[in-house]
Amino acid sequence: MGRVRYWFAAALAMLGTSPAVAQGATGTIRGHVTDVITKAPVVGATISIGARSATTRADGGYIITDVAPGSDSVRTRSIGYARASRLVTIRAGQTLVVDFELAPQAVNLAELVSVGYGTQRAGNITGAVTQVGSESFNTGRVISPGALIQSKVAGVQVVDNNDPGGGLSIRIRGTTSINASSEPLYVIDGLPVGTGGGLSAGRDPLNFLNPNDIESITVLRDASAASIYGSNGANGVVLIKTKSGQKGAPQISYTTSGSSSSVTRLPSMLNAAQFRAAVTQYAANNVSQLGSATTDWFSLIDRTAYGQSHDLSLAGEGQNSNYRLSLGYLTQDGVILGSTTDRLSLGINYTQHLYDDRLIIRTNLRGSRTHDLFTPGGVLSNAAQFGPTQQVYDATSASGFYEWPGNTLQSADNPVALLSQATDHGTTFRSIGDVHTEYRMPFLEALTANVQLGFDVTEANRQTFTGSRSHSQTKTGLGGSIFRTNPNQVNTSLQTYLNYAAPLGGNGGSIDLTGGYAYARSTADYSYLQATGLSTDLLGDNGVAGAKTLNPVTNPQNSKLISFFGRAEYNYNDRYLVTASIRHDGSSRFGPDNAWGDFPSVAAAWRLSEESFLKGSSSISDLKLRASWAKTGNQTFGNYQQYANYAVGDGQTQAQFGSIYIPTIRPSAVDPNIKWESTTSYDIGLDFGFHNQRLTGTLDWYTKTTKDMIFTVPVAAGTNFSNFLTTNIGSMENKGIEIALSAKMAQGAKDGFSWTADFTAAHNTNQLLTINPFGGAVQQILVGGVAGGVGTTIQVLQPGSPINSFYTCQQYYDGAGKPVQNKYVKATGDSVTNCLNSDRRASHNPAPDWILGHSSYMTWGKWDAGFTLRAYLGNYVYNNVASNLGTYSEVTRASPFNLNSSVLTTGFTSPQYLSDYYVEKGAFLRLDNITLGYTMKYRGQPMRLYATVQNAFTITGYSGVDPTAGLNGIDNNIYPRARTITGGLSIRM
Amino acid sequence: MRHNAKKAATLAVALISLAALGCTDTTELPQSSITEANIFNDPNSYRAFLARLYTGLAVSGQQGPAGSPDISGIDEGFGQYLRLYWEHQELPTDEAIIGWGDIGLPEMNTQTWTSQSNMVVGMYYRIFFQVSLANEFLRQTTDDKLTSRGVTASLKSTIQTYRAEARFLRALSYWHAIDLFGSVPLVKETDPVGSTPPAQATRSDVYNYIVSELTAVQSQLPAPGAANYGRATTAAGSMLLANVYLNANVYTGTPHYGEALTAAQAAIAGGGTLDPSYQHMFLADNNTSPEIIFAIPQDGARTQTWGGVTFLTHASCGGSMSNNSSGVDGCWWGLRLKPEAYNNYSAGDGRKAFFYTNGQTVGIASIGDFTNGIAAPKFRNVTASGAAGSNATFVDTDFPVFRLSDAYLIYAEAFLRGGGGTQTQALSYVNAIRERAYGGVAGDITGTQLTLPFILAERSRELLWEAHRRTDLVRFAQFTGSSYLWAWKGGTQGGISTASFRDLYPIPASELVANPNLKQNPGY
Repeated sequence: MGRVRYWFAAALAMLGTSPAVAQGATGTIRGHVTDVITKAPVVGATISIGARSATTRADGGYIITDVAPGSDSVRTRSIGYARASRLVTIRAGQTLVVDFELAPQAVNLAELVSVGYGTQRAGNITGAVTQVGSESFNTGRVISPGALIQSKVAGVQVVDNNDPGGGLSIRIRGTTSINASSEPLYVIDGLPVGTGGGLSAGRDPLNFLNPNDIESITVLRDASAASIYGSNGANGVVLIKTKSGQKGAPQISYTTSGSSSSVTRLPSMLNAAQFRAAVTQYAANNVSQLGSATTDWFSLIDRTAYGQSHDLSLAGEGQNSNYRLSLGYLTQDGVILGSTTDRLSLGINYTQHLYDDRLIIRTNLRGSRTHDLFTPGGVLSNAAQFGPTQQVYDATSASGFYEWPGNTLQSADNPVALLSQATDHGTTFRSIGDVHTEYRMPFLEALTANVQLGFDVTEANRQTFTGSRSHSQTKTGLGGSIFRTNPNQVNTSLQTYLNYAAPLGGNGGSIDLTGGYAYARSTADYSYLQATGLSTDLLGDNGVAGAKTLNPVTNPQNSKLISFFGRAEYNYNDRYLVTASIRHDGSSRFGPDNAWGDFPSVAAAWRLSEESFLKGSSSISDLKLRASWAKTGNQTFGNYQQYANYAVGDGQTQAQFGSIYIPTIRPSAVDPNIKWESTTSYDIGLDFGFHNQRLTGTLDWYTKTTKDMIFTVPVAAGTNFSNFLTTNIGSMENKGIEIALSAKMAQGAKDGFSWTADFTAAHNTNQLLTINPFGGAVQQILVGGVAGGVGTTIQVLQPGSPINSFYTCQQYYDGAGKPVQNKYVKATGDSVTNCLNSDRRASHNPAPDWILGHSSYMTWGKWDAGFTLRAYLGNYVYNNVASNLGTYSEVTRASPFNLNSSVLTTGFTSPQYLSDYYVEKGAFLRLDNITLGYTMKYRGQPMRLYATVQNAFTITGYSGVDPTAGLNGIDNNIYPRARTITGGLSIRM
Repeated sequence: MRHNAKKAATLAVALISLAALGCTDTTELPQSSITEANIFNDPNSYRAFLARLYTGLAVSGQQGPAGSPDISGIDEGFGQYLRLYWEHQELPTDEAIIGWGDIGLPEMNTQTWTSQSNMVVGMYYRIFFQVSLANEFLRQTTDDKLTSRGVTASLKSTIQTYRAEARFLRALSYWHAIDLFGSVPLVKETDPVGSTPPAQATRSDVYNYIVSELTAVQSQLPAPGAANYGRATTAAGSMLLANVYLNANVYTGTPHYGEALTAAQAAIAGGGTLDPSYQHMFLADNNTSPEIIFAIPQDGARTQTWGGVTFLTHASCGGSMSNNSSGVDGCWWGLRLKPEAYNNYSAGDGRKAFFYTNGQTVGIASIGDFTNGIAAPKFRNVTASGAAGSNATFVDTDFPVFRLSDAYLIYAEAFLRGGGGTQTQALSYVNAIRERAYGGVAGDITGTQLTLPFILAERSRELLWEAHRRTDLVRFAQFTGSSYLWAWKGGTQGGISTASFRDLYPIPASELVANPNLKQNPGY
C-alpha cells in the first residue's frame, strides 16, 4: 500500500505549501463570477490581483486573501469568455466584494464538461471527450438512455435490438475484448453503475433511468480521459448527468406523447402457392399434408403498436437549496404481439448549501418499476417456418389450433398458438441513490473534500411459461415448462476524494489536483427454477407445484473493487495544458498475486490559438493540438475464475454403483494466475474553431492495443481439467480516426432562420494479433453459431483478421450468375465440390468500416425542426433466415418448413450454410428521426407541440430484415425494426 | 453552534476518508461452488470424485442431460464420450452409417475426416479429460494427503479400491487413445496441473504403461457381482487386459496372444454366464443381464445425456418405425446398417431378429435418406417384458462395454493366432454363442470352420454396434486398403480403397497448437 500512501502524502503536502491564513495587515476580496447572459456561475475562472489569485468554485464564488492594501486591478480570465478587470482600492483588514459578469466569446469552449471526479471547461480538456446536451438528443420514442446519443458522437456505435427497450450495446472505438465485456462504464451523477446481465428482467439494464431526466451525456472516448476509472475504463466511459433544480420560481413541466409503430421489413418467405409448388416438386409424399389455406403468418403475429408517455417534473430553488422532482410513465407495445415495456419512474435531485456555501450536499434518488412482456421464444422463427398453406385454427384439436400431424420433433409450431399458449414476462425494480458531500476546507479555500456514498439495488424477476398442450411441449414430451428467475443485486459504493484547485505562481499558471479512494462491493444472486411436466396449465407460470421435474439453482456472485486514484492538471494561461493521472485498482476477481493493477495516463494539449502568431487571427478562434497516452484495464468478466472449483453434479448426472446412485463432483479447469486485460492507447487530436466558433470540429487519430486478453483457449490435453482454459493470452488492436464538425449554417436574428448542422464520421479497423501462447500455423477459434445443423458456426477468431470475421467458402456462380450448389472456389481459383474446412476463408466482418452521422437543428420563428441521419459503410450481415430456410431440402422434412424466397433464385436443394452467398453487404443510410415542432404561448408560458418520425426510411442493398442485425451481424429471425410516429406536447406552468 | 457543526463536518469527512483507507482486502470467496481447500472435509467427496470418473463415460457435464459441460468447442450431446467412441468405432466400418449432415459427422461414414473434424477433436479431448480427472483423483488420495486430512483407516482402505478403479479407468481411456490416435502424451498423476505441454510418448510406451497399470491394480479391483454393477471389477480388469493384449501386435509390433488368452480366461472365470436372451442385453433392464462384465450405466431419471445410449436408441429409429417400439418419444432418423453388415447374417440367425426392414432398402444410394439401409433398433428403451423405460427421452438402457461372449471370442481368436488353449474349448465357446443365436445347434460350426475370417465375421454378428468393429478390422488389416471394400468406404457408394494412414485418427489441429511437442500422425 506504499503507493497509495504516497498519493495522500502528496495531497496533504499541498496543504503545507499553501498560502498562509489572512493577516490583519492585508485585505480580502471575494465575490461571484457569472455569465452575463445566462446568469449561471462561471466555474474555474481565474481571479487575480497583483501576485494573489484564486479559482472560482462550483457556485462561481471565489475568495482572495492576503491582498496588499492599495489600488490595483482585479482581473478575471476564463476560457470562452472575454477577459474583464476592475480597479479597486482596498484597506488593511477590509473585505471587498467584487462580482463579475463575463461576456461569452466562444461559448462552446466555456461549456462545463463532466470528467471523472469533476468538471472541466471544454476548451481546456486534454483528452478526447464529447458531451451531448439534452437539446441534441435523439427524439421520438426513446426508451433506453443510450439511444439518445446514437449518431451524435464520432466513434461511438450504438446498437439496439429493435425490441422496445431491448438490450442496447455501445462500442466506443471498436470492440476491445472478446470474453470480457466491451461495454463502456456508465457513471450516473458520479456513481458508477452496473449494466451486466441480471440487472433487469431481460431488457436494457439502463431502462430504469428516464431519458427525460437526463441533462447531458458525456462520452470519454480516449483512454487518457477514461483512465481515472482504471480497470473499468478500457471500453470508454459514459457519464450521465441528471437534471437538477433551476433558478427562479417553482416550475412544473409536463410532457406527453403518443406514438404508433409499424413493422418495416420482414423475412421474405414463400407464399402459399409457391410453397405448394415447392412441396409438390421436391417432396411429393408431403403434399397430402398440405392444407388449402393462404396464411400469412407474419401478418398474424405483428401489429400496429401504440405507446404513450407522461412526464411531470417540479423544479425550483430555495434560498440555499434547489430541487427537482420528476415522475414519469411510459408504455410502449412492440410491433410483434406479446412484447410491451411499461415503466414508472421517480427521481429526486436535491442540493443544499450550508455554512456560506462551505458545505454542499447533493442527493440523487431514483427508482423505477419496469414491467416487461416478451414475445414468447420461437414465435418469429416458427412464423418463418410454418407452411403458409396451413390453417391457423383446428376445431378438432385439443388446443383449438392447427398443428402439423404426426407430432414429430422437427415440425414447426403454430406461432399463433404459441402466442396464446406461452407467456413470458418480468418486472424489474431498480433504485439508485447517492449523497455527495462537498466540503470546502475553512483553513484552505482551494481545498475541497468530497465524500459520496451510493447504492444501486435491483430486484428483478422473470417468468416464462409454456403450456403442456403447446405443440413445442407435446412433440418433445416435456409436458409444459416453467422458467422462473429472480436476479437481485445490491451494489454499495463509497468514493472519497480531495480536490485542490488554485493558481500556481503569478504567471497565469494554475493547478487542479484530485486524489481519492473508492470502494465498491456487489452482492448478487442469480437464482432460477426450471420445472417441466406440469400438473396443470391453469396456474400458468405459478404452477410449479406438482411438476414432474424441478431444477432450482442458486448462483450467488459477490465482487469487490477497491481503488486509489489521483490526477494532476496544469494549465498555463489556457495555452499549455498537461494532465496526468493514475489509478491503483484491486479486484476480487483475481488471485492475491494479481489482484492489484496500476493504470496511468498522461495527456498534453497546446492551444495554438493562444499563441501570439495566431491570437490576432480573425478566422481562427480556437486551435488546440492534443496528444495522450494511457493504460486502462478491463475486469468485467466472471467472478471466482482464480479458484479451483469443484462443480457439484445435479441429480441427473449420477453414477450407478450397484443399486445405488451417487452424485458427483468435478474439478474445473483453472488458471490461478488470471489477471486484468489491459489496453494501451495513444490519441492525437486537433480541436478547431473558425469564425468565432461558427464552424468547430475535432479530429482524432487513435490506436489501442489490448494485451492479456482473457481467452478461453485449447490447453494441452491432459494438463488441466478441460480442453479449454480461461487465461490471459490474446492481444488485439483497434486503430481509427474520428471527425466531428459542427457548423452554424444560418444564424438568424431573433425569430429568424437558424440552422446548425453536425457531422460525425468514424473509421475503425480491428485486428486480432494473437490468440495463442505458442503461435503455430493453426490458430483459430470458431464462433458465431447459426441456425441450421448442429454446431454450425459462421465466424472465426484468428490473428490478422478482425474479430468475428465471417468464415465461409467462396460461392461459385455459373455463367448466368446463379450460385451453384456444393460448388465453391478454392483460394487458388479452382472450383471444388463441397465446402470443406480447409476451403473456408475469413473475409468480411460485421463491424462497419465507417459510421457516419448527420444531425440538423433548425429554428424559424415559432417553428423548430431537426433530423438525424446515420450511415454504415463496409459492414456485412449473414442472412441466416435465407441460409437456413433457403433450400428445398427443408420441405422434405416429415412436416415441411416454409422456405425463404432466396431459394427461388438459388434453387438449392441442400443447405449451403457456409456459402458466402449469404454474407451480404449491410451498408445503409437511415433517417433515424425527423422532428417538427411548434412553440406557442399558453398562459404566458411556452407550450411546444411536436411530431417525430423514427426510422423514416432505410436505404440498403441488404435483403434481410435489418442491416443493423446486432453487433455480430447474424440475422436469424431478429425482431423487426419499427417505424414509429410520435406526437407530443410539453407545457410549463 | 455553527462552528461546532463545521468541526463535526470536517471530522466526519476525515473519519470516513481514514476508514476507507483501512479497507484494502479484495478477497471474495465463491459461495455456491466448493474449492480444493474444503472439498475433502467431507469424506463422501472421495466417492463422489470417483463416481465422476465413471460418469465421464456416461454423461456430458455436471447437469443432466446438458449443462456445465466437461469439454467445450463441440455440441454437448455430440461431445459425449460413449457417443463419440461409438461413432469412431462404427461409422467408418462396414457396420453403420449415419444420415445427418452436421459438421464433422458425414466424413465419419467415409473415412475422410481431417484433423479439424469435430468428432475427432471431441474424442481426443474426451479421452484426456478422463486421464486428467483420474490423475487428479490419484493426486488427491495419496497416503500423505489422506493422513494429513485425518482420514479413518477404514475409509483409507476403501480409497485404495477407489484408486485401483481410477487407474483402471485411466488405462481404459489410454487404450482408446493408442487405439484411435497412436502416439499420445503420457500424462500421469506425478505431472503438474497447469498448461505446460507434455511430451509425446510412443504408442509402445503407452501400451506398456497400460499393461503395467492393469497388472498392478488387478487384485485390488472390486469383486464381480450385482453389488458392484457399473464399477470396474476384477473381471472388467481382465477383459480390458485381454483386449489390449489381443491388439498388442497393432500397437507395438509384438504379439501377446498368449497373454490375451490367459486374460480372457480370467474374465470368463469371473463368474458371469451367457444371457439366455441375446436381445435382453440391449434393453432398458439390461443391468440384470448375467453376461455384462462392464457397462456404462444410463438411467432415465438419474443419468441423463443426449449422447450415449439415448443417442443410439433415438438415432436408430426412423422411417416407418414406431418410436414406441423403441420406447422413446421420437425418432431421430439417423443410424442404419451398411449392407455388408446386414448380409453377414444367415437365415436362422436370431441376432438379426430386431432388424427393421419394412420400407427400408438393403443398399444405400443416399446416405441422408433413412430408408436406405436396413434399420437396426438393437438398443431400445423397453424392458425384456415389454414395459417402457422410466423416461421416454433419456433411456434406462446401459451400454455393455465388455460382455462374456466377447471373452469367448477373444479366447477363440487368440487360440487361432497361436496363443495357446485348446480347439475344443474354443469351439465350445463359439458354439455356445451360436446356439443362443440360432436357438439350437443349427448354427454350430466344426473345427475346420473355426478360422480367423470366421471369427472376424462372427464378431460382427455377435458384437454388432457395440463399438468393437474398427479395432477388429484394423487387427485383421482390413479397415483401410483394398482387401475389403464396403459401401461408402472412401466416399463412394461402391466403396474404394483408403490409405493405410487412416488406421489412425489425426491428432486434432487445435491440440497441435496448444501442445507444440506433438507430431501429427503421418498422412494428415
